Amino acid sequence: MSMQELWLLLPVLIISAGILAVMIQASYKRSHFMAQGICLITLLLALAALINQYPTDVKTITILFEYEPIGGFFSLLLLMVGISVALLQGPYMGANSKEVTEEFYLLLLLSCLGAMLLVMSRHVGSVILSIELMSLSMLAILAYNRERKLALEGAMKYLLLSGAATSVLLMGFALLYASSGQMMLVDMLHSPMGLMAKSGFVLVLAGLAFKLSFVPLHFWTPDVYQGAPVNSTLLLTSLSKAAVFALFIKLILLVPADFEADMVRMLSWMAIASMLLGNWLALQQNSLKRLMAYSAIAHMGYILVAGVIAMGIDHSLVLEGVSYYLLAYLVASILIFAVLTLLSRLDDQQDVDDLPQLQGLFWQHPWLASIMTIAFLSLAGMPITIGFIGKFYLLTLAIKLSAWWLVTAMLVGSAVGLYYYLRVIFTLFAPAKNDIYQTSGAYVTKIWIGLITASLLILGILPGLLGDQLRNILAIG
Amino acid sequence: MVALSFLIWLPLLFGVCAWYSEKKFSGSGNWIALISLFVLLIFSIYLGNSGTSSLSWEWFARFNIHFALLLDGLALLLVTLTIVLAMLAVMVSWNDIEKHRGFFHFNLMFSVAGIIGVFLAADLFLFFLFWEVMLLPMTALILIWGHEGRRYAALKFFIFTQVSSLLMLVAIIALALHHQSQTGELSFNLGQLQQLVIPDAMQFWLMLGFFIAFAVKLPMVPFHSWLPDAHTQAPTAGSVLLAGILLKTGAYGLIRIVLPLFPSATMEFAPIAVTLGVISIIYGALMAYSQTDFKRLVAYSSISHMGFVLLALFSWNEVALQGAILTIVAHGISSAALFSMAGLIQHRIHSRELGNMGGMWASAPKMATVTLIFVMAGIGMPGMANFNGELFTLLGSYQQFPVQTIVASLGIILSAVYGLHLFQRAFQGPPNLQVTDLHFRELVFTSLLVIALIYFGLQPHIVLELSSETISSLMQTATEVRP
Repeated sequence: MSMQELWLLLPVLIISAGILAVMIQASYKRSHFMAQGICLITLLLALAALINQYPTDVKTITILFEYEPIGGFFSLLLLMVGISVALLQGPYMGANSKEVTEEFYLLLLLSCLGAMLLVMSRHVGSVILSIELMSLSMLAILAYNRERKLALEGAMKYLLLSGAATSVLLMGFALLYASSGQMMLVDMLHSPMGLMAKSGFVLVLAGLAFKLSFVPLHFWTPDVYQGAPVNSTLLLTSLSKAAVFALFIKLILLVPADFEADMVRMLSWMAIASMLLGNWLALQQNSLKRLMAYSAIAHMGYILVAGVIAMGIDHSLVLEGVSYYLLAYLVASILIFAVLTLLSRLDDQQDVDDLPQLQGLFWQHPWLASIMTIAFLSLAGMPITIGFIGKFYLLTLAIKLSAWWLVTAMLVGSAVGLYYYLRVIFTLFAPAKNDIYQTSGAYVTKIWIGLITASLLILGILPGLLGDQLRNILAIG
Repeated sequence: MVALSFLIWLPLLFGVCAWYSEKKFSGSGNWIALISLFVLLIFSIYLGNSGTSSLSWEWFARFNIHFALLLDGLALLLVTLTIVLAMLAVMVSWNDIEKHRGFFHFNLMFSVAGIIGVFLAADLFLFFLFWEVMLLPMTALILIWGHEGRRYAALKFFIFTQVSSLLMLVAIIALALHHQSQTGELSFNLGQLQQLVIPDAMQFWLMLGFFIAFAVKLPMVPFHSWLPDAHTQAPTAGSVLLAGILLKTGAYGLIRIVLPLFPSATMEFAPIAVTLGVISIIYGALMAYSQTDFKRLVAYSSISHMGFVLLALFSWNEVALQGAILTIVAHGISSAALFSMAGLIQHRIHSRELGNMGGMWASAPKMATVTLIFVMAGIGMPGMANFNGELFTLLGSYQQFPVQTIVASLGIILSAVYGLHLFQRAFQGPPNLQVTDLHFRELVFTSLLVIALIYFGLQPHIVLELSSETISSLMQTATEVRP
């Protein structure tokens, strides 16, 4: 490994150093403030390093990793999520939490590390290692409040099912390896595919589809989302989805031509089912976390539309669409969960989660309620939010390819989605019933959330700011 | 011309001002909203005086989308109507709003900005954006300040319009992509898209996408069911804006987009659309007759009147188009006037039920007289604005669709039936309650409305001159397509 390659790994190395630093600091003197500070500085340094040496073309780093623009963009998103979660954990825990505080940041950094490595992977070994690094540290985060029964139950479910999914993934890779004799993803999929290799590939996708909670592999999502402490749910719904989707789209773009028709059929059905079922099941949810879980299923379905189309034509627009949509989804999810986090306390047995608990939020905490409203409108795809631009990209793609079934499912899904997003928004504006607790102080966190909200609106009103540059950022076309 | 975009920014800015100052000085929001609307009115007339003006900024280059606005005669007409009716909305709810008054004014101004945006947009992407954005404050108006069933009404209103506009979004994108396949470049610009040659089958589907979105807004039977709920549950200001202008955005979309962009598909589709329009006329009138709720009755009468617009537009000849535009303006004023009367009555007796009224002429003769004039205008009495619109509509469309027009003219008779029924139940008969008559403020704006109705009744040529350019270009398109 040359110095050049080490230098390219700098963001990842910074995070690794940060992990060690948090560990040493926690063993030396326990301090929530210090741990949070080190974690934030680490993530910010990694962000700075990533922006500073943002890749303009594909560079390989050893046999395991590669450094390329699309991965770079996803890494930016991942770091944004990481910083949000780190900032939110402080107010969420409060000053005198019953739980240990420092380890959360350790686990957070670990899962960020796993996610960033996953995005850079080009080899089966590194894929498996990084996906497990991410999932296992995520698992501990999901059960972070040990006194909540639901959290433990959710984490246990996630452990078992995620383990099963990983073994399916491994089995798939094993079949692919058996038929091709290659361990690099590119070589593996470029060798001629027999029935064994094809079934291997399907298994690999199934493993990933589990993590992305595509229908019919979505059953774990609502329970785990509901059980976990709300800040951990945020991490689960954003970090792991974004990182795994980066790998997913990478694999889909490698599908050989003779296998395309079958894949298009399979993934189209998955996308349509996810969009329809996700939105349908969200309709009657009173728990916001469950609602967000189903809405995540639906939104993953929308993004999968782009994945399906990726196999058709015009890769550049597909990648732009995926990136924009994912950014939109992440931003909205971060904001919604951030508001919930600011309204809840980790030490309580339950988070603020039921819709009636939020009734009249606008009249008591107008800023928080406005942020939540805007975020939900963005998820619903209303103009002047970033979510609309994301939807616009995807619709353009689907119409361009005359994929009318997908367009229909997207329209029906959006129409149904509108109802439950509106239900939440209407509840926020209903007459207030009782006082709603809100974390006081935490100004840094609130400024950060304000920044994200502003970017949601600015990128929605002036889509050109990012949209015109995206092609250069992703270095495509 | 940069100044053109101020028509959109200024209401927003003033809205924020009104919100903020209402917090500091209670009661100031009304004045700020009213004065700023007046300033806007002067400003828009000033802009309109200098002839057609336009503006185009680079906005989203990846898709060749521009922030393009165009103010021509028709747009000016509707923008001024919007601002005037917004002033009416402010005045009619001067003391009506009890809670969150600052936020109320913000929403009012926000919806004005959105509606003006719809009328000015010259780029389909921008048009869609405003089309959706104007929904938000209107939904908030219904949801927060509406009457007993407001939540259901707001939800229904939002979902109906949103879902139908999704179809429009698909049609817009497909249109832009078609432009790309023909010229190699995406375009959302209305002017450029008009040059496009679209194959017939495709034209039909695209037209349908737009048509459904506009027909829901208009509203046309069978897409009308959101309207009675929304109008009835909305606060008076909301009803005024809804009936006065929001419905007109549907007609405006038909004039600006559907007719010029898809002429041959429109002609082919015309018999169906016209029939649906006639059904709306008759159905709306019959339903209006059977209502016992003042606002619901007026709401159904709107469906009936907007049916005339649909009939006129799809008949597509010069007289009918003139009739459509006259009806748009006249119905904007007269329905807003009737809704504000409903608001005034409800403010006094806390009920909209006609059964609870009756004999109010005795205690409130001024109110009764004014209402009678408004009802007469709605019926289409000669000398009032609505008469010209309906007459032109029937004259024009008889040349194209004689059978449908004959049936439609029954609608005028029915309108007299439900209009007089309304007036008789509310104001005549034995007096069973005492109401205070109109105050000075109320008298001012109601008499302004009366003057407007009579003025446009006697001087329709102002409206026709402003819209002549649009109509003649539409007629040119028609002669090219019509066999």
